[in-house]
Amino acid sequence: MIPNPLRDPRDRRLPRVPQPCALVVFGITGDLARKKLLPAVYDLANRGLLPTNFALLGFARRDWADQDFAELSREAARKHARTPWREEVWEQLAADITFVPGSFDDDAAFDQLAATLGRLEGSHGIGGNAAFYLSIPPAMFPTVLKQMQRTGMAESTPERWRRVVVEKPFGDDLLSSRQLNELVDSVFSADDVFRIDHYLGKETVQNLLALRFANSLFEPIWNGHHVDSVQITMAEDVGIGGRAQFYENTGAARDVLQNHLLQLLALTAMEEPVEFSPEEIGTEKLKVLRAISIPEDMETFAVRGQYEQGWLAGERVSGYRQEEGVDPESTTETFAAVRLGVETRRWAGVPFYVRTGKRLPRRVTEIALVFKRAPHLPFADTDTEELGNNQLVIRVQPDEGVTLKFGSKVPGSVMEVRDVSMDFLYGEQFTETSPEAYERLLLDVLLGDATLFPRNAEVEASWTVIDPLEEFWAGTTPHSYRAGEWGPRAADEMLAAEGRRWRRP
Amino acid sequence: MTTLWDTTGSAVVKELAAQRRTGGAVLSGVALTLVVVADESRVTEAEEAATHAAEAHPCRVLVVVRRQIDAPTPRLDAEVAIGGRLGPGEAVVMRMYGRLGLHAESVVLPLLAADAPVVAWWHAPPPDQLSTDALAVFADRRITDSSISDDPLAALKTRAADYAPGDTDLAWTRSTAWRTILASTLDSVSGRRGEPVVVRSGRISGDPGNPTAALLAGWLISRCGCPITVEEGGRRPGSSGVDSVVLELDQDEEVQLHADRKGSAVISQPHRPDATVALPERALGDLLSEELRRLDTDEPYRDALEAATGVTGLADRSPVREYVWVDPAEENADGDHPRERAAAKSPDS
Repeated sequence: MIPNPLRDPRDRRLPRVPQPCALVVFGITGDLARKKLLPAVYDLANRGLLPTNFALLGFARRDWADQDFAELSREAARKHARTPWREEVWEQLAADITFVPGSFDDDAAFDQLAATLGRLEGSHGIGGNAAFYLSIPPAMFPTVLKQMQRTGMAESTPERWRRVVVEKPFGDDLLSSRQLNELVDSVFSADDVFRIDHYLGKETVQNLLALRFANSLFEPIWNGHHVDSVQITMAEDVGIGGRAQFYENTGAARDVLQNHLLQLLALTAMEEPVEFSPEEIGTEKLKVLRAISIPEDMETFAVRGQYEQGWLAGERVSGYRQEEGVDPESTTETFAAVRLGVETRRWAGVPFYVRTGKRLPRRVTEIALVFKRAPHLPFADTDTEELGNNQLVIRVQPDEGVTLKFGSKVPGSVMEVRDVSMDFLYGEQFTETSPEAYERLLLDVLLGDATLFPRNAEVEASWTVIDPLEEFWAGTTPHSYRAGEWGPRAADEMLAAEGRRWRRP
Repeated sequence: MTTLWDTTGSAVVKELAAQRRTGGAVLSGVALTLVVVADESRVTEAEEAATHAAEAHPCRVLVVVRRQIDAPTPRLDAEVAIGGRLGPGEAVVMRMYGRLGLHAESVVLPLLAADAPVVAWWHAPPPDQLSTDALAVFADRRITDSSISDDPLAALKTRAADYAPGDTDLAWTRSTAWRTILASTLDSVSGRRGEPVVVRSGRISGDPGNPTAALLAGWLISRCGCPITVEEGGRRPGSSGVDSVVLELDQDEEVQLHADRKGSAVISQPHRPDATVALPERALGDLLSEELRRLDTDEPYRDALEAATGVTGLADRSPVREYVWVDPAEENADGDHPRERAAAKSPDS
């Protein structure tokens, strides 16, 4: 029997709305909470996607009255919200927001938090369901998790669910990530842990699965017979901002390569899942991550770089070592490029070049499949001089969309073939402004849908790829590149060594 | 933007192509063509809504205004705008005079985006039998709005009699917000109980003459299989015609939803404190935008329409409409809306 007669799978107009629940945010005063979480909650409320009974509980080490907190969150939501501002929506939401001050090692504060949660169960009718968002440095995790265990807040029972949301970094090597996972799993059951990789919340990343598995056009050529190489790029034009302390200990490989880039690689290279469910997609991604091989010649094929001062977008920017809070002798990388392999029948022999960097010329993330040259060209050599490899590019951000690059005749009396590109721009076909990644992922957490969240095993498999690279890089000095360049020369030489070159995104 | 006076269909096609070439960053592909059939008095409103919808769903907007069907000489005036006042996409507003209005499709067909779905929207009283308008015949989806008719409930009946898969009505779209809240309220009841919910009966209070209230009742009847009444409410409800909904559930429980007239609704349910959720009045463009989101058959609408009007067998209707030629001039010579009258006299209605 259907639990709710008004739910009809054919009724696609009605959105999925979570059950009554509370969202508890630790570190509510932090940057992420202010810029992403609070606006995302407002956007969800504005779109009518929050449950009928909802409460937001903020916890932080500030001595604030509810009033101050309400003012702060209003400002934050208003400034960063994606959807138009409607005061009445905010007022309703504000009535559901509570602030609990206290430090993470203070037993009394956590007792108060637990009591507040219990009280909201009655007054806001949240039915005991709660998601805990750990928007705090990983070093704080053990303290907070132990407090939650002590107060019994983390227990899911048949009557209620309790979930936890963890932000990257998920550890800084295999060992520490295992410890972190064990710690989280000892408090919450594995199904209730949601690891946020906000890249997976992006519309284009989800579209990658639709592109591959809903069409008959691409899958037949999606393999080593036709694909020459794959390039995955995630470039940022910004520097490290105010995150020097965090970045000094992390570097580009741990910050981006380990999670975003390997997840994109997994989605690109994975086999077709048996069905579109979190378990099946996770299984296929994990297979790819386990099949990743690292280069033998690391000197050539694992390059890291660090930006020096230069000019970017018409402004002079300082070098990494000159950034505030950075050791002037720092050997932390701000750029990493690696040639990986995927040892499966589908991909054997196809290099996956992945790169990420800060202070590169523009902010862009894309996945490019570079196809093999046609085995025979019936044209004269001079006719096809300007013909490159065919490419299929999935632009993750900005200008979300897909580009297909192929050769075409130049109009005129001579036969001359040149590359042209065919563009699908997401915004053109559906400008339904795509929800922010956090909005989507937050909703998924409240709904309990884990499709877009990497699992424990995936995180560990990713560290298995990164650890040997970090080991090789330890004690070396990164190559330098000027801010505003596409990375160090060594990265270009890495592709040149195999007769290829980076695509300019 | 270019305005072509007393022009031809091919000149419009040429002008559109020319503007696309010179326009620079114009859309290279559109997802659908939206054909808007509007009365002169409603053109501005329709253009505004279409512009809003085009922002969410890039489409080619073709506005057809039929004027003075009895004018002695047929004439076409067209305004071609790309990235202009009608939003970021391509738009053509066409005013057709004289008997050209009866052959609007001859101008519209060559302007449709290649192999993309066509949505026709009447922001005017539609013909009783949609297939008497050729624009409805090649459209994959047809949007009407019963609420602008003089007798909305009768208009709803007419739509049921004429229904074919792919039809939809904005009166139905106006019920989405209420339906969302009702469904999630019952979700929360069944979540609390841990077992299914059965609706025994229910009543809607509001405006019994409002087609949205009627469709909401129809939807509840089709989903719950129990009687739902629409009663006159004390207050004047919003455009949805619904002021409150009360559902009697099994286990002697009851849920109530009241619109608070400030853009929200208050939900009362057993064992839970009252909750307030957003229930904003939605603009026409917003409703149209929702319609463009999905282009397949809307089965819940069909079921609700069936239950609301008592017309049965809608599920067996063929999705194909055959064009029925009606010549208003043969019927009369001096009406304001000769087409309508002609359609009313067509044998099937």
